[in-house]
Amino acid sequence: MTTVRAAPARTGVSAARVLRAEWTKLTSLPSNAWLALGTVVAAAGTAYGLGLFVQPGDGRSGSWVVTSGFVLAQVGFLVLGVLVGAGEHTTGTARTTFATVPRRLPVLGAQVVVTAVAALLTALAALGVSVLATAPARAGDAPALDLSVPGAARALLGFALASVAVAVLGTGLGALLRRPAEALVSGVLLLVVGEHVLAMNPGRVTDTLRAFLPSSGARLVQDDAALAALDAATLGPRLGTWGGGVVVAAWVLVVLAAAAYRLVRHDVR
Amino acid sequence: MSTSTPTPVSGPTAARVVAAEWTKLTSLRSSWWIAAVTAAVGGAITYLSAQASSVDPGFQPVDSLSTGLVLAPVGLLVLGVLVGAGEFRTGAFRTTFTTVPRRAPVLVAQTLVVAAFALGVGVLTTTASALGILPAATSRGIAVDLTAGDGPALVLGMVLFFVGMALLGLALGALLRRTVPALVTALFLVLILPVVLMIATDPLVGGGDPASMVASEAVPRTTVVGTLTVLTPGTAGTLMTTSPSSGGMDGAPDLGPVGGGLVLAAWILVLLVAAAVRLRTRDVR
Amino acid sequence: MITVEALTKRYGSTTAVDGLTFTARPGTVTGFLGPNGAGKSTTMRVVVGLERPTAGTATVAGRRYADLHAPLHEVGVMLDARSVHPGRTAYKHLVSMAQTHGIGKARVREVIAQTGLEPAAHRRAGTFSLGMGQRLGIAGALLGDPATLILDEPVNGLDPDGVLWVRRLVRELAAEGRTVLLSSHLMHELALCADRVVIIGRGRLLADASVQEIVDRSQGAGTVRVRTTDPEPLARELLAAGAQVVRQEGGVLRVRAASVEEVGTAARRCGVTVLELGSESGSLEEAYLELTGEALEYRAADVQGGAR
Repeated sequence: MTTVRAAPARTGVSAARVLRAEWTKLTSLPSNAWLALGTVVAAAGTAYGLGLFVQPGDGRSGSWVVTSGFVLAQVGFLVLGVLVGAGEHTTGTARTTFATVPRRLPVLGAQVVVTAVAALLTALAALGVSVLATAPARAGDAPALDLSVPGAARALLGFALASVAVAVLGTGLGALLRRPAEALVSGVLLLVVGEHVLAMNPGRVTDTLRAFLPSSGARLVQDDAALAALDAATLGPRLGTWGGGVVVAAWVLVVLAAAAYRLVRHDVR
Repeated sequence: MSTSTPTPVSGPTAARVVAAEWTKLTSLRSSWWIAAVTAAVGGAITYLSAQASSVDPGFQPVDSLSTGLVLAPVGLLVLGVLVGAGEFRTGAFRTTFTTVPRRAPVLVAQTLVVAAFALGVGVLTTTASALGILPAATSRGIAVDLTAGDGPALVLGMVLFFVGMALLGLALGALLRRTVPALVTALFLVLILPVVLMIATDPLVGGGDPASMVASEAVPRTTVVGTLTVLTPGTAGTLMTTSPSSGGMDGAPDLGPVGGGLVLAAWILVLLVAAAVRLRTRDVR
Repeated sequence: MITVEALTKRYGSTTAVDGLTFTARPGTVTGFLGPNGAGKSTTMRVVVGLERPTAGTATVAGRRYADLHAPLHEVGVMLDARSVHPGRTAYKHLVSMAQTHGIGKARVREVIAQTGLEPAAHRRAGTFSLGMGQRLGIAGALLGDPATLILDEPVNGLDPDGVLWVRRLVRELAAEGRTVLLSSHLMHELALCADRVVIIGRGRLLADASVQEIVDRSQGAGTVRVRTTDPEPLARELLAAGAQVVRQEGGVLRVRAASVEEVGTAARRCGVTVLELGSESGSLEEAYLELTGEALEYRAADVQGGAR
């Protein structure tokens, strides 16, 4: 069996090429641009709104005011990730994608990378707009953004890291569950509701559970004083400076491993 | 889904549309999964919560009855969204609206059907919750009587809370016509917004010291954030599951169970009307 | 070349493909024929590695599809017109496919022109008609200029122009020495463009032969049809001569084991007026219905104008 035509130099699939293809797929959906815009607006809007309520004696720092939009913006990052991970399977694009790249795993890897890059860019934009949006609040009662406050710079960096982690977790959940509604509900339960419910019933068991939920990643956006206050209040393990980041990273790895296993082992419809 | 017509002359009557919608809802496996998981999780959380608080000196088992409802809105919102948006997502609406071209009866029928199903889930979960508090009550030797005092009102409020959550999901699904946006909106309104608003008033999150906590006690009785919180559909609905005598939330006007129910009903009504208007004036594709 | 050997695919207790063996050769259009649910699409999905076989093997050019280094250049695949994200434009969809193999944008524009998609290239795929979706799927299959093409129901939803275009395209591709496997449930379509036909029913192989062989095998082949004013005496005459006769409405007799000459002579012998007389050739459709009649998974409740 030979190709009849004198074929030009034929190049095969490579990781870099799959990465470019996934970036094209991500950026060619208008809904993703709207989602990123909505996420920036949600982050800055929340930061602006919460900034209005900061009183001088609250013990809140300037970095808290700027990063406070994370609580809402993380939903946007989650949705972004879920759509990348599950969109293939719900729209039937998976048939095209995995017939083109039959080894499959490079696709998941590329999806993780493009989600992370898109989330990072969105997070940086959200951070910038949040700084601008909270300027009036910081000029008033709220404290100024002072990077010499211990952990303040790290909290700003943490905003970007936590956003990327949530987005990639979404990609993993989407690829694992293959349906956006299920992945989204799981994500919201793990990131928002679980934390909230457990926090309402403080205790040794609930605080321990709470520490090991991916919502601990939100600790990355806190400065040193806030982390110390959280560790002082908990009856469970004290996660310290980077513990929350480690917890969410572990979740990301486990969920991605499960998604990779399913992708390789199971049929694509 | 066809309304079965025995003779060619009989068209889709209201009763037939309702029957058809009921068949659609109950023929989905996910409906039954949601019902089972909601009841099981509700009962389990209630049991754990009652066990945990049974060591308190002033333990009243009935107070723990609605503690298991924290996760219940998720399943019901999903159920409602799936019914409301599912038609449009799967393309089934083409069949539905060619079968019943006047469209509005379909939305009414979906409302009735979802309400009835959620009522069933509510009764089931409330029963599971009542069973959940029994071990704790028995261990303290306290008899549980749901027919006395606040009991009947509490049970009624709980069941209505289930219906309200499912209808909120339905209205958002029918309005937005797409599962993911509708689900995000529903989860945002019910679960995420109250958390965000809570952060605005909770100094501890920002790493406050005890002094600032004392300062927060001095906050006036009714705050803007507190009022906004109580007006979100989820929080308003939760008020229905509190005893009328328990008083209001901190910093919020005391609406009571009835007031909370009315706020939730207003949300549902406005969204359903918007969905009906969209259904009537926009093309179905 | 596509080689399927003893392929079996089960989903739980349902057997979709059952011990299927066939080969699609270079320079040939191989038609893949069978009723809905016969296992055509499942077989194709297994061949391109989307599903793994329960037993048996499927190879392209001697290798498992998943082991191909550059699948787009070796096998062009169109499985379902709805294998596209509805929010993405046709152009971007093809570009993202091309990028996985380092294929340039010039080639993307080439296949867009070749499939007549130019006016719609920058529209979201969700707004496409079924026919446009098919053209986009075929464009994707042609992208890597592959030696093998696998097309699942390519003429579904196409207008008459489109059907003609697909027919000519697959003939050209085969003439260039490529292997083309083309599924359909439309017999006429395959009769017009396939060289060989693989017929399956309920996941089993029913026939694997050239179109001509299958047509010759049908019962209709070699039948003489005669219409007279008075069929009764002629039927008796023919039966006496050892022919088989089936009586039909309107004075028509269908005669087997007798030539046109013998029937004409018999008519003159018993003095009936012949209105029509001719031999009938079998059709692929007839052969197909005979073959699949027993294998039909979903049979119409009342079969009128019966198959057998």
